[in-house]
Amino acid sequence: MPEENVNKQAQAGQNPKDEEPRIGVYVCNCGGNIGDVVKCDMVAQTLGKLPNVTVAHSNMFMCSDPGQKMIADDIKEKGINRVVIGACSIFLHEQTFRRTLERAGLNPYLYYHVGLREQVSWVHHGTPKEATEKSIRMMAAGIAKARNMKPLEPVRLPAHRHALVIGGGVAGLRSALDLARRGLQVTLVEKSHYLGGRMAQWERVFPTNEEARPLLKRLIDQVLAEPNITIHTGAQVAGAKGYVGNYTVTIRQQPRGVRGTFPNEQGVMDVCPIKQRCEFNYGLSTRKAIYRPYKECVPEGLVIDWEHCTKCGECVQVAPEGMINLEEEAHEFTVEVGAVVLATGFQPYEPFYGEMGWKEYPEVITLPQLHRLLDDEGPSDGKFYWNGHPVRNVALIHCVGSRQVEGVHRAQMDGEVNNYCSRVCCTASLSMASLIRQKAPDAKIYEIYEDIRAYGRWHEDYYTRASKNNVTFLRYYAEEIPEVRRADEKAENPLLVKVRDHLTWGEEIEIPVDLVVLSVGMMPNPVQDLMEIFKVTPGSDRFLLEVHPKLRPVETAVNGVVLAGTAQGPMNIQESCAAASAAAAKVSALIEQAKVELEPYVAHVDPDQCQGSGECVKVCPQEEAIELKTFSENGRTFQRAVVTPANCNGCGVCVSVCPNRALDVQGWRLDEYEAMVEAIAADIPAWEGAA
Amino acid sequence: MSTETENRSAKILLLATLSGGYRGADMVGQGHMDYPPNTYILPVMSAAIFPPKFYIDAFNKGFDAITVMYSGTDSPYKGESEKTAEIINETYGKMKELNLDPRRLRLAAICTVCVRPFLEEVQRAEKLLEEIGSVPRPLTKPQAVPAQPAGTQGGIFHAN
Ligand SMILES: Cc1cc2nc3c(=O)[nH]c(=O)nc-3n(C[C@H](O)[C@H](O)[C@H](O)COP(=O)(O)OP(=O)(O)OC[C@H]3O[C@@H](n4cnc5c(N)ncnc54)[C@H](O)[C@@H]3O)c2cc1C
Repeated sequence: MPEENVNKQAQAGQNPKDEEPRIGVYVCNCGGNIGDVVKCDMVAQTLGKLPNVTVAHSNMFMCSDPGQKMIADDIKEKGINRVVIGACSIFLHEQTFRRTLERAGLNPYLYYHVGLREQVSWVHHGTPKEATEKSIRMMAAGIAKARNMKPLEPVRLPAHRHALVIGGGVAGLRSALDLARRGLQVTLVEKSHYLGGRMAQWERVFPTNEEARPLLKRLIDQVLAEPNITIHTGAQVAGAKGYVGNYTVTIRQQPRGVRGTFPNEQGVMDVCPIKQRCEFNYGLSTRKAIYRPYKECVPEGLVIDWEHCTKCGECVQVAPEGMINLEEEAHEFTVEVGAVVLATGFQPYEPFYGEMGWKEYPEVITLPQLHRLLDDEGPSDGKFYWNGHPVRNVALIHCVGSRQVEGVHRAQMDGEVNNYCSRVCCTASLSMASLIRQKAPDAKIYEIYEDIRAYGRWHEDYYTRASKNNVTFLRYYAEEIPEVRRADEKAENPLLVKVRDHLTWGEEIEIPVDLVVLSVGMMPNPVQDLMEIFKVTPGSDRFLLEVHPKLRPVETAVNGVVLAGTAQGPMNIQESCAAASAAAAKVSALIEQAKVELEPYVAHVDPDQCQGSGECVKVCPQEEAIELKTFSENGRTFQRAVVTPANCNGCGVCVSVCPNRALDVQGWRLDEYEAMVEAIAADIPAWEGAA
Repeated sequence: MSTETENRSAKILLLATLSGGYRGADMVGQGHMDYPPNTYILPVMSAAIFPPKFYIDAFNKGFDAITVMYSGTDSPYKGESEKTAEIINETYGKMKELNLDPRRLRLAAICTVCVRPFLEEVQRAEKLLEEIGSVPRPLTKPQAVPAQPAGTQGGIFHAN
């Protein structure tokens, strides 16, 4: 960290003027979210009587322009020098209000936020009187803190102009390209041995009906042509140290085992004795232990499946010399990056055994499998055949693994059902119905749905087209899901689908079919390791969680770690790319200038109180965050603790051990907490007579 | 239990870390799940800043139960969890000297999505106060410290 920043930081936390606190108090109704339970006017009125409170208002929406203007005007016109706001969660609007203060010329850290919505009105619906009293006490605590608050300066640090993108699906690729075009260095890490993610597995993609792989290839070519991007496939993050601007990330890469391409690749694959389930075709075909995931994959060329390869050496015999190395080992390396984009994508929901006949009957497949089946490069060369016979009757059942209802559906391993909508499956199913119609003009096609949610631009066209194309729609309700069972041996079609159809007023219908397609939902890829490494959290749907779905839709709670694409929740390609571009914009805004600003919440030593005991140095868990330095003054030599803010993360371990109370975490000082505790516990005379 | 403060409503202080319990409390709110309003949540960056004296003072000033809701081993701060546990244990010693039931102070690992564990912790504190009542104030050191009955420790609890 540059010396001048350290000095500036050391001075922060001292209020040069020690001015008399003039506190502005603002109570937000949140459009009734708070005001329907808490008497906001009364809260403001009561708090207005407390010492140092110069103004106290309640307002319908403090975050609105008029609400913010009210604060700014009070700062400018009434000399308010501390602000306490009671509103929604601190995580939503802390930044909004800090900027309001800044615009009005006040240090943005002279503000305290009380969460009156999530922690009062939304949890005390039935006790409005007590909720109002609690609000008064919580706000009084904020006022007590505000009296002691000091202006703070953010910590400014140098940052690597280098971003790490984890996941090489369409979202990761889009993010990497946008970042590189803004002049940042990008390292892209992809777990599998090829780029493109799930999109490579689809035949055509809505809403344009373009062929998926050529479309994807265009993006991949642009990425490959970008000199600022370095790609590592077969690679995963093994660990990371540091903080925003300065991460050192360890990457572990599995070898391909095969160097480049050569003419006799098919012959090499043919001699391999190991057969494995082909994951690219969702198990509809097999592949060898030396294989190419799909024809046009990037990077091209073969790769070895180390988990199943027996190293028999048959392939080495057939390949040109030196092209295959069965002794190649995984290796680790590090990259220094300023920010991280998590673009780890999704996996299709895996039904459990017997769920609508899954795995019980071979004629039940999933929508991703149908994509592979109808793909001209798929296991049946795009013919709509099953078990060697043309499919004449097919039922597509929607919402399998999505919009599940507790008590009706079986829970996942964590005990929760997938109660969210996977959003893409309706249009994906409808577009498949149209493709089936093209491939099998006489086939009977049934779409068995709960609701059709063809929500995006041009998605409705797929519904209209399917309706015109003689696709039969049947509607079930969540509490009575369709049943799939084996038909009589003599029956023409192997399966029967029983459904109570609410388009015909609840009539029970049995449809004989050759094939059932389960339109499975989306689940997040398992990234527990990354969550632990980068300290990001999942939402209740297990996808990675953003700070706020509307206001900060791609940022996580961890500075410098952002989300792109379906790692965050179900999205189509268009939305994944939009999110990926937003993530790239956020990252570049953060590190483009080769520096980042961090919150000033680091340890601060009061030199007048410090006696140089050194207890803080002994307990500090961070490297080089605090040390004892020798000073001389008037011929006297003494030791004092000195903090290096860049290395301090504000853990506060030093605060509790200081025998002289010379240490504090700026912005979260012990004396502020003591004042808050006192304020909450105190009697509130004005309140006693109210209500 | 008869105390001079019997008529005032008992207060519970929840010191909740911004990377753990405080977000957990927000999640409870987002789910509109009710709990009693005598609970006061203060956001903290790291629970390791509070020395034992802070807790004793808080009991003296008017709180009857305190739960520290930190992120436990998931804390973003290296050393926070060990140091906090150490301080809480030290505080138990001081509480004993003051004849304060150690169950009034508890350390609980509450994550950002720990809705149920959060509610259970609040419920636990409420039940305890129903059973043992408010803190008799002012706190004074008794002449002889009675032996602590088994199973009355506050304890360190990990929900995640
Ligand atoms: C059946 C079906 C049909 C669909 N059809 C369409 C359609 O027609 N039109 C449309 O717009 N959308 C469609 N979609 C949605 C589309 O597939 C997604 O929007 C898109 O694939 C999301 O891209 P992504 O990059 O977020 O995720 P993914 O495609 O899942 O890519 C994520 C990548 O991250 C990698 N990864 C995972 N974990 C790690 C890790 N730890 N380290 C490194 N790399 C990792 C994965 O290997 C993968 O390559 C369909 C979805 C389904 C299920």
